[in-house]
Amino acid sequence: MATFELYRRSTIGMCLTETLDEMVQNGTLSPELAIQVLVQFDKSMTEALETQVKSKVSIKGHLHTYRFCDNVWTFILQNALFKNEDSQETVGRVKIVACDSKLLTQ
Amino acid sequence: MADQGLEGSQPVDVQKHPSGIVPTLQNIVSTVNLDCKLDLKTIALQARNAEYNPKRFAAVIMRIREPKTTALIFASGKMVCTGAKSEQQSKLAARKYARIIQKLGFPAKFKDFKIQNIVGSCDVKFPIRLEGLAYSHGAFSSYEPELFPGLIYRMKQPKIVLLIFVSGKIVLTGAKVRDETYTAFENIYPVLTEFRKNQQWYGLGFINLTFSVICVYRCNINNFHHSVYLFLCH
Repeated sequence: MATFELYRRSTIGMCLTETLDEMVQNGTLSPELAIQVLVQFDKSMTEALETQVKSKVSIKGHLHTYRFCDNVWTFILQNALFKNEDSQETVGRVKIVACDSKLLTQ
Repeated sequence: MADQGLEGSQPVDVQKHPSGIVPTLQNIVSTVNLDCKLDLKTIALQARNAEYNPKRFAAVIMRIREPKTTALIFASGKMVCTGAKSEQQSKLAARKYARIIQKLGFPAKFKDFKIQNIVGSCDVKFPIRLEGLAYSHGAFSSYEPELFPGLIYRMKQPKIVLLIFVSGKIVLTGAKVRDETYTAFENIYPVLTEFRKNQQWYGLGFINLTFSVICVYRCNINNFHHSVYLFLCH
């Protein structure tokens, strides 16, 4: 199954990439294996978000910019209110990038 | 609504609008030729507030906030601008879209700008007998309440389509210049007054009901429970 590389830019993805880089550089890991680990990371993130995350968040703000191109939605929100079951927080500027996971299974 | 405010603040030119009602323009559709081939993907990726889904529709859909409008931009360089409330606003919006395309590096021009359609609406503030109107103006009317609740009136001169609703709300569409909208409305207005729905019967019914309730109340003013009982029976 194909996956998005979307989550590599998240904090956890960046940390993993840095660690793999370091290991490749000092010779403890082959570059091929490092790439395989990243591909596995893409799969695991997708699967974990699909099956293990139950919480819901609502995001509401002023839509400054939107874009839809190559099946990717991009939204820039201003003064966005993030809300979940027990807390809420306002963020001045947020960028949302969203892909349609249905496209992967086709 | 905005049209009421406008009518209130500016005196209506009775020469031009004998009915005393000026239809409000709701939507203007215009087209223009930017006269250069466009790469839609580049536009979708670089411009803000753009959508491009070639599987669904072969144009970039772009929006601006002032004047609040939507543009359809085609690879041929042709563009459609919708949503403006006046001819000037439509042209200004089209110019702004052309400027956006220019800023992305295309040699866009502004050729053959044309208003393609004007939609207006108004409220005559009395109900209308659509069936009677459809019957006496059979050649122009189409009234199929099971399909659509409004009467569709295809006026020949000017060539305007009117949607006439029981409520007295009117939509006029198909005009290339706003005067066609105004003329069409002045043409139809006497017809609407002719088929004004007579509501006296409902009014009387309401008065009768009120009267009997007051009677019940007055008769039993000393016995509250009893009066409630009578009221329910009534």
